[in-house]
Amino acid sequence: MNITESVVSNPIQLDKSRLKRTKSGKIKVKVLRRSQVVTNITLVSLVILTIYGFLSFNYKNINFLEAVNNTITNVRTMFLDSALNHFTLSESLYQILITMGLAFLTTVIGGVISLILGLFAAKNLTNEKVSNVIKGFVAFIRAVPTILWVLIFAVAAGLGSVAAVIGMTFHTVGYLIKAFSESIEELDEGVIEALKASGASWWQIVFQAILPSTATYLLAWTFLRFEINFTNAVAMGAAAGAGGIGFELFMASGFYFDVREVGFITYLILAVAVLLEILSTRIKNRYLY
Amino acid sequence: MRLLDIKRLSKEYKGGTHALCNVNFSVNEGEFISVIGPSGAGKSTLLRCINRMIDATDGEITFDGVSVLNLKKKELRRLRTRIGMIFQHYNLVNRLSVIENVLHGRLGYKTTLEGIIGRHDEEEKEQAFAILDKLGLRNETYKRCDQLSGGQKQRVGIARALIQNPKLVLCDEPIASLDPNASKIIMDHLKAINKDMGITCILNLHQVDVAIKYSERIIGINSGKTVYDGPANELTMEKIHEIYGSEAGELIIE
Repeated sequence: MNITESVVSNPIQLDKSRLKRTKSGKIKVKVLRRSQVVTNITLVSLVILTIYGFLSFNYKNINFLEAVNNTITNVRTMFLDSALNHFTLSESLYQILITMGLAFLTTVIGGVISLILGLFAAKNLTNEKVSNVIKGFVAFIRAVPTILWVLIFAVAAGLGSVAAVIGMTFHTVGYLIKAFSESIEELDEGVIEALKASGASWWQIVFQAILPSTATYLLAWTFLRFEINFTNAVAMGAAAGAGGIGFELFMASGFYFDVREVGFITYLILAVAVLLEILSTRIKNRYLY
Repeated sequence: MRLLDIKRLSKEYKGGTHALCNVNFSVNEGEFISVIGPSGAGKSTLLRCINRMIDATDGEITFDGVSVLNLKKKELRRLRTRIGMIFQHYNLVNRLSVIENVLHGRLGYKTTLEGIIGRHDEEEKEQAFAILDKLGLRNETYKRCDQLSGGQKQRVGIARALIQNPKLVLCDEPIASLDPNASKIIMDHLKAINKDMGITCILNLHQVDVAIKYSERIIGINSGKTVYDGPANELTMEKIHEIYGSEAGELIIE
């Protein structure tokens, strides 16, 4: 028996008049919703804008092929011919350590603040008002990029590591409060109810039920933020004079125009980032589940 | 002795749903009562009004001589320590061990700091182990709760309620997620704590046959009103239909 036969011999009767059909008479399965229409329109207009953008670029008098060729040569020297010219390997490792310190400090300070405020931002632990105030404030913090916060605090603290730490902590708090409070909100409401019904107080519930249940998620988010903060710390070293490997990168590229050194430092940062990733995955798999 | 007195109890949710309308009944110490009724009739609301997990809109509840509805925060915590609660979904902290979950039942008796660091004196721990032994969980004591079966989890839930030293245990659909075998074990345990320890039990149940078999008294609720309140053996088929608002032949138990 082939497939069409089996469909035809289906004993359940169908009232065919109620079916929606397309213009060509096929049975409709997808119904276009308003959100889908909007998405489609947005996509199409983005494609059109992109094409128009490339067509209307002011290319000045650059020979496109030559420019591409030069770029490739530069990138090749950068990554295939990397070398250290202005400082030694041990010095660069020390600078990496400074950058890591910057990331670590901001993650720890931000993590502690976020944990406390995250509890008050979770809807199942506080009332709607407190939660909304904190979440609104935090959304505002997140909307402004890290580098801008650093520059804002640089007004008071001067460009340097102090402004970088405060600014990065600020953004870390904005990020982690959202992550923490949402992890806590995922928690089964029943557990809180059960402890409340046995007469437990708010802090007791937090320490006896919320933290044991969500510790894994909270730590996973903190690790993720540490990785983000590491890359941020590199950027802050370059852009806000916070020191560390980012500053060396800035000097190598903007001051000495030494692409070989830029390449070497990039490799170094990449290696550390990969190392952090491996480390955090290991820790997560071994100690938390 | 009168343990619980409920008078003119009403609960209206925001948006105007009347979950309970003028509910009146009283409970004597040592009773074993089942509350039955269709889903959404207000059974859970009724149970949660008794320990103020839900605040009633109107009426009076007197538990052990104390007027429940006017209690302040601290007194409310004290009241809740005297009332154990058991849930359909057990509501245990899955990442903690069985014994830790049982000891959560003592939190209401502790200062905030003692509860935060989880300090329990030896007497409490001994009692917790004794209760677990009695409920047949001797070998599961140090297991994590997510390794247990549903029936075992519910027994941990009972242990957590028992260590509170409650006068009253409220059970919200204690066997709704369990297989018939585990259901029987749980019901037998509940019956035993009622008989041996003299703890008053109020259960919400969906299984009418179980309610009739285990309880002396049954309260039937439909749309927030009590439609039946009497001995289990006087619950006729007609009464059951009245409780569930159904016609003859529409219920699975017939």
